[in-house]
Amino acid sequence: MIKLKKYIVGILIAGLIISVLLSLGLGAYVIYPETIFNNIVSALGGSVAVDDVAYKVFWYIRMPRVVLAILVGATLAVAGVGFQGLFRNPLADASLIGVGSGATLAAIFAIVLGGTLLLSFQTVLGQYLLNISAFIGAILSILVVYRLSRSQGKTHVAIMLLAGIAINAIVGAASGLITLAAKDEQLRTITFWSLGSLGGANWKNILALLPFVVVTTVVMPFMGKPLNALALGEQDAVSMGIPIERVKNIIMIVCAIGVGACVAMTGMIGFVGLVIPHIFRLLLGPEHKKLIIVSALGGAILLLLSDLVSRTIIAPVEIPIGIITSLIGGPFFIYLLLKEKNKNIF
Amino acid sequence: MIRIEGLTYTGKGGRVILKDIHCAFAAGKLTAVLGANGAGKSTLFKCINGEVRFRQGIISWDDRDMKTLPVSELSKKKAVLRQHYQVSLPFTAREIVEMGRYAYFRTYPTERCKEVIALITELVGITHLMDRSYLTLSGGEQQRVQLARVMAQVWDSPTEERLLLLDEPVSALDIQYQHQLMQMMQQLTREYGFTVIAIVHDLNLTLQYADDILMLDKGSVVDQGRAVSVLTEQNIQRVFGISVLIEKNSLDQLYIQVTPLKLETISL
Repeated sequence: MIKLKKYIVGILIAGLIISVLLSLGLGAYVIYPETIFNNIVSALGGSVAVDDVAYKVFWYIRMPRVVLAILVGATLAVAGVGFQGLFRNPLADASLIGVGSGATLAAIFAIVLGGTLLLSFQTVLGQYLLNISAFIGAILSILVVYRLSRSQGKTHVAIMLLAGIAINAIVGAASGLITLAAKDEQLRTITFWSLGSLGGANWKNILALLPFVVVTTVVMPFMGKPLNALALGEQDAVSMGIPIERVKNIIMIVCAIGVGACVAMTGMIGFVGLVIPHIFRLLLGPEHKKLIIVSALGGAILLLLSDLVSRTIIAPVEIPIGIITSLIGGPFFIYLLLKEKNKNIF
Repeated sequence: MIRIEGLTYTGKGGRVILKDIHCAFAAGKLTAVLGANGAGKSTLFKCINGEVRFRQGIISWDDRDMKTLPVSELSKKKAVLRQHYQVSLPFTAREIVEMGRYAYFRTYPTERCKEVIALITELVGITHLMDRSYLTLSGGEQQRVQLARVMAQVWDSPTEERLLLLDEPVSALDIQYQHQLMQMMQQLTREYGFTVIAIVHDLNLTLQYADDILMLDKGSVVDQGRAVSVLTEQNIQRVFGISVLIEKNSLDQLYIQVTPLKLETISL
């Protein structure tokens, strides 16, 4: 156990590399490791003979998908650590405080009414209407929850969690109502989208996602100390010299931005933000800086492997990735709960 | 020296919780704040700690208004120990103590931080607990870990500029730990020059360990000064509504004995 703790970052990086190679190679069209290497060399200007089909599949289908999986997985996991630390509640998750459902509502709205009510937007924004709506939905819902929980210049975490639950209920009802107006084909899109998919990966999308994801994953490791201090209590963190109000705002905004952007791109992929931080907290303890870095790696690996399974297990049919993450995450989580039940973790 | 002048604090709904408080806490002394429930002890404590904003009055530390002192400076000079901490994550004792040094390092504890922590954990007697999970420690052990944390926080400041605020630090502890912790406080003030302000409920514990006492009743100062001169039968009767006898025991120490309440005064 001691050894595992010491080498965990190394182990995870190795795991990530293996997952990347597997994801790049496996699929309807198998690309072998030496071809992967040749493709990279060729793209860098090296004179190696590469098969044209392999090259295209590699650079335009597999690679964007792998990069997207890494970015989204890392961001969801890091945001999970952030929300759990911020709310001092191990059950806090983007979906719990309304970020996920806000995005989903906006997306359903765009899917069903995109062709009618939002027609003028659709002509301008084209295929990005869905993503932009979801992003706006995520940010709006976090703003509402945040406003509700602020009073006298302070954020009340308990009210915030309850506000999140209220928003979830309202948003759920509205989503259901809009779904009534949906056509069969739109219903399929809605279902697929609310379970999440990395199928829309292309370089353009990744470029659009990158700035938001970078903000989350770069800022959050610096929030390690404040998050640790928060575990003792807000006032005690203040006594330790931590500007707690500013820190809370930063964590919330940064995590909401990251999750909002991810949900906008891939739909709601559940369980990553909840399960990954838990697993590593049980393995390594709750120190947040370490936890954030390790969770980023773990989240990327989980999503890579889940995506691999989702597109290969009954190919050519693609299973929504949210189903896979929940199928992997759920039982593992139960196993951990059973194992750790008596250790006072909660 | 912490000096409070004309402090008035009005709570929600216009209820006056502290009215026109004038008092002082001597540097290098252990001052106990006494008073019945609702006397305003906790509010006074929060005002000194800067947790609540008050409109009237000044709290100054060595003649500087505490409101104007930068957080970065205060966090190295002033630390708070509470009765109980709701820690739900399994931090190790070491990680908790290291939090006390957060104002001193960016990413990893410096050599100085490690030195201070080693010294303090030895002093508090928790060296053997450092790698245990905080959640598995007993109440007394947890409180000692927290004490080490707050000591580590102010340790590097000049001798006369180290302030510990203790909010009912021993109320949840058994009698052995109560005396251990109070002896520790006495040692910190006498040998290391700490200034300690503590809310304490146990009158005998106060009489035994406190240098000075500030006695509050219904938001006003009743009396302040040397412990023996404040803890009188009259003051106790007035503030707590109980009659007591203060006598010397066979060890020549003063102790307070509560005379039995008359039955009709025990009305629930």
